Amino acid sequence: MAAHGAVQHRQGLSNGMLGFILFVASEVMFFGGLFAAYFIARADAPSWPPTELLTEEQLAAGVELHLEWVLPTIATVLLVLSSVTIQIGVMQIQRGNRTALMWWLFVSIVLGLIFLAMQMYDYAQLPFRADDTIFGTTFYTLTGFHGAHVAGGVIFMLVVLVRSAGGQFDAGNHEAVEACSFYWHFVDVVWLALFTTLYIVGPRS
Amino acid sequence: MATIAVPRTGSAFRPAVLDWLTTVDHKKLGILYLYFTMFFFAVGGILALLVRTQLAVADSTFVSNDAYNQIFTMHASAMLFLFIIPIWAAFGNYIVPLQIGAVDMAFPRINALSFWLLPPAGILMFSGFFFGGSADAGWTAYSPLARNTGTGMDLWIIAVILLGISSTIGAANFLVTMFRMRAPGMTMFRMPVFCWNVLVTSILQLLATPVLAAALCMLYIDRNFGGSFFDPNGGGNVILWQNVFWFYSHPAVYIMILPGMGIVSEILPVFARKPLFGYKAFVFATLGIGGLGFSVWAHHMFTTGAVLKPFFGFMTFMIGVPTGVKIFNWLATLWRGSITFEPPMLFALGFVSMFLIGGINGTYSAAVPVDFAIHDTYFVVAHIHYVLFGGSVFAVFGGLYYWFPKFFGRRLNDKLGVTQFVLMIVGFNLAFFPMHLLGLDGMPRRIATYNEADWEALNMASTIGAFLIGVSMIPFLIAVVAAFMRPKDQPDDPWEGNTLEWATTSPPPVHNFDSLPEIHSERPLFDQRHGIGGHGVHPATGEGRG
Amino acid sequence: MRNAARRLTHRFVLIFSLVLLGSLLSVGAASAQFGQPKPVTEEADSLHTLYLLVTVAGFIVFALVTGALLYMVVRYRRRSDELPPQTHGNNLLEVIWTTIPIVIVLFLFVSSFVVLLDVEEDAEPEDLTVNVTGFQFSWEFVYDLADLGRGEGPGGEGTVSVIGTGSEEPLLVIPVNEPVEFKLTSNDVIHSFYVRNFLYKLDVVPGLDNSFKVTAHETGTFEAQCAELCGLDHALMRFQVQVMERPDFDAYIAGLASEQLEQARVP
Ligand code: HEA
Ligand code: HEA
Ligand code: CUA
Ligand SMILES: [Cu+2]
Repeated sequence: MAAHGAVQHRQGLSNGMLGFILFVASEVMFFGGLFAAYFIARADAPSWPPTELLTEEQLAAGVELHLEWVLPTIATVLLVLSSVTIQIGVMQIQRGNRTALMWWLFVSIVLGLIFLAMQMYDYAQLPFRADDTIFGTTFYTLTGFHGAHVAGGVIFMLVVLVRSAGGQFDAGNHEAVEACSFYWHFVDVVWLALFTTLYIVGPRS
Repeated sequence: MATIAVPRTGSAFRPAVLDWLTTVDHKKLGILYLYFTMFFFAVGGILALLVRTQLAVADSTFVSNDAYNQIFTMHASAMLFLFIIPIWAAFGNYIVPLQIGAVDMAFPRINALSFWLLPPAGILMFSGFFFGGSADAGWTAYSPLARNTGTGMDLWIIAVILLGISSTIGAANFLVTMFRMRAPGMTMFRMPVFCWNVLVTSILQLLATPVLAAALCMLYIDRNFGGSFFDPNGGGNVILWQNVFWFYSHPAVYIMILPGMGIVSEILPVFARKPLFGYKAFVFATLGIGGLGFSVWAHHMFTTGAVLKPFFGFMTFMIGVPTGVKIFNWLATLWRGSITFEPPMLFALGFVSMFLIGGINGTYSAAVPVDFAIHDTYFVVAHIHYVLFGGSVFAVFGGLYYWFPKFFGRRLNDKLGVTQFVLMIVGFNLAFFPMHLLGLDGMPRRIATYNEADWEALNMASTIGAFLIGVSMIPFLIAVVAAFMRPKDQPDDPWEGNTLEWATTSPPPVHNFDSLPEIHSERPLFDQRHGIGGHGVHPATGEGRG
Repeated sequence: MRNAARRLTHRFVLIFSLVLLGSLLSVGAASAQFGQPKPVTEEADSLHTLYLLVTVAGFIVFALVTGALLYMVVRYRRRSDELPPQTHGNNLLEVIWTTIPIVIVLFLFVSSFVVLLDVEEDAEPEDLTVNVTGFQFSWEFVYDLADLGRGEGPGGEGTVSVIGTGSEEPLLVIPVNEPVEFKLTSNDVIHSFYVRNFLYKLDVVPGLDNSFKVTAHETGTFEAQCAELCGLDHALMRFQVQVMERPDFDAYIAGLASEQLEQARVP
């Protein structure tokens, strides 16, 4: 009998996909830690945003603790949309249509980039910074790490795009595409949680 | 048998080095992990000896207060992050694929990445000494103290994040390997108990380490970008650090012990020539420890006045129950056995007896009001070392003596092994037992010096014990050197082992197995040796026993 | 080979017994308090009782398990090459040795809980309050003259304070047989207020209002120090606590007050 380990074909998830899911589970815990910090800070604060905590200097410098919600709402819609578009891409490659996959990947990448650009713009115009009380710290930390993950997802999609342009993936072999879309959905879900937390349930007097 | 023969000429040196640098073979990576971690064991040990030298007498000025804080911080950081946690990856890497009959880990390249993250992390962590001082806020890096110290702290943070990444992806790799690479017949409940312990350890690593990474990111932001996470003036919360840190670091203490318990559970049955008593109970106890491990973190914070003491006290007490199940099953494994006392067995028995003491003195802290007195005293330092040295390190040496023939095809000399064991267990108790009494008497930990004359005798005893531990390394080093001067002469199965790693040559070929025995129980080699199994299922090994 | 194995066994057993004996002796010899300093507050008395209880439980578990281990090691050392009976497990035993620890642990938990409630009682408003501030690297103890507790103290307006320096350890004085509340604050890093003979410590945490109460029942001077790593001179953040009879305490505070009011008058 020869060694068996590597030649086994098992049903269900591939090794790569299982490993990837475990990796995403660890990412969930990472964000869990950051969210916990946010909720503890919010519970401790006299009010949220904690305007009372601003010092004279900060007030004099024109610091204001408030969020602009119009832009982020649009960004949210775009990000959710990009989840839909990449999923269409996956469905296309399941049918073996690589060209369509590439188009949908392209659209998703563009949406991801627009999201990042809007986030940058939002950062630039907000009247507070990371060192303006725990409100600023948590806001920039949470959205910043999420933004980094969006950037990571965009790079992942680019890699998949390049690989499909190189002729890889077909109806029977498109695991990397699925992993990529899975990751992108994860990034999207984190954003929805973040948006809800920061913009909807956030404020409290 | 397709091993490629590298010509052993002068010019072969470069390829050999290159080979080690680029290898993705789980066995070679395991060996690399081993060398790396043993190096840092020596470094951490030498730092410990500096600590002990300083504390040997009252009002000592051997090192400055500043240096002292760096020394004990780096002692613990090296021992925990660069020695004990990654050394389980050394054993896991080498042994897990062999024990489940796989050709390699699920992701050999990621495996190599996990290892190669360690050297830069080790260098970064220690490079603080060249940038105005290393981290010096203790391995627990409590804020606000850790917010304000020197550059060494930033390097420490980055190093620990790197180590965390290594640990997390390594864990995912182990999990996938054990879930999906098992040989035919190797069901989950036939996996060797060592594998089960690595499995639960990996779950803890996968889920807890990212929380530490989050905590470290917050600390980094506080230090470098004016963040207020741990600054009450900006609305932050000082206790938040302790909550997130211990949310990782309590599960981490089980990350530091479970694989050791796995090793002991491999050694005891082999040298008692009996199966592990209560295999399933053992597996469930391991899962229980892992689960409970997530619900006790605040027992490190009883004196902060900011945690729910009865709840965490209760859960902490409860964790003694599954641990007790393990201890009792080990005892029952010895019961009516046929026991011999080669070095692996001595270290395993050392583990059981010393870890027991560490577990019991941990229970003192679970009794919250008792912890009010002993928290942050040398009593806790005694606990730390009874579990981590009397537990983990004894298991490390047990594992080394046990698997050395498999790793290197050579056996470590028994006499030297016994000598090491005797010196080590005596030195260990001399070094750490007095700490109980010092702690009860009120000697705080992490103090660079003390002026209490009453504490001198016990401290001196402890220092002598520490140096005796250092001396106990000499027979070990001699045994290693002597072994490497001899040719590879070890048979496949020098100990009459039970598990699959003994079904291949010592050391195994690149592809691990030329053939596998049939697997009908958790002891395929035992079955083979005694002609049990064949094509049926032996009654004694069917599923469903306790 | 057999002989060598037996010799190993004997050596192992010998060492083991020595270690066991050594531990028992050193603990016994440590002091009349079985290792802990003499408890000098009412709270410390119950803390100490609980400690003794845990110690007894711990020693019983230790003795039984280590005894069993030694027995196995001696009794079942290899005597022949015969394969011993291959017992795989026993569900009844598993249940028994899961249940017994649960019972022990529940007992210890309930005892701890009772003691916890006992020692964590809140102070009454009329109790003497000492405001303790920990700083890198000493302590300040502040008494409010209007709130000197249940005695006939000097009374009056303002506060007096005792403040330590790097070279001089501060002295904290409290009256005997009276509840005293300590309110702990810090503006730099975490410290921990630890008086050995109280068998108690509480962290001094920036941003948290921690306080606790004790009733000392013995006069004398007791060693104390910071128990949380707080930086460079953490080891030197020592102080002393002196428990006095009420009149002595009043006189002491009055002395401090006149001294400090005089100083205050000098610009
Ligand atoms: C390998 C590492 C390891 C392990 C396995 C453990 C195991 C345990 N630890 Fe330990 N612990 C540490 C490493 C470890 N610890 C470290 C490093 C610190 C200090 C960190 C720092 O501050 O720097 C620490 C600190 C620490 C504290 C904080 C103390 C303080 O700072 O005040 C507490 C408090 O409850 C605690 C409790 C326990 C308990 C209850 C167990 C249990 O798991 C033990 C269970 C085992 C037994 C109980 C023995 C066997 C059981 C039986 C024979 C059954 C019968 C027993 C009974 C009925 C009791 N530990
Ligand atoms: C696995 C973990 C581990 C291990 C093995 C050890 C091992 C030792 N530890 Fe440590 N220790 C910790 C984990 C560990 N420790 C932790 C977590 C803390 C808490 C830190 C904190 O408060 O932040 C601590 C704290 C700590 C303190 C308290 C410091 C303080 O609070 O001020 C002391 C004091 O004595 C101490 C001593 C020792 C000693 C003497 C050893 C000895 O057993 C060491 C023995 C080893 C050697 C002597 C090495 C011998 C090797 C050689 C000599 C090889 C020669 C070289 C080559 C061949 C290259 N340790
Ligand atoms: Cu203050 Cu240590
Ligand atoms: Cu813990």
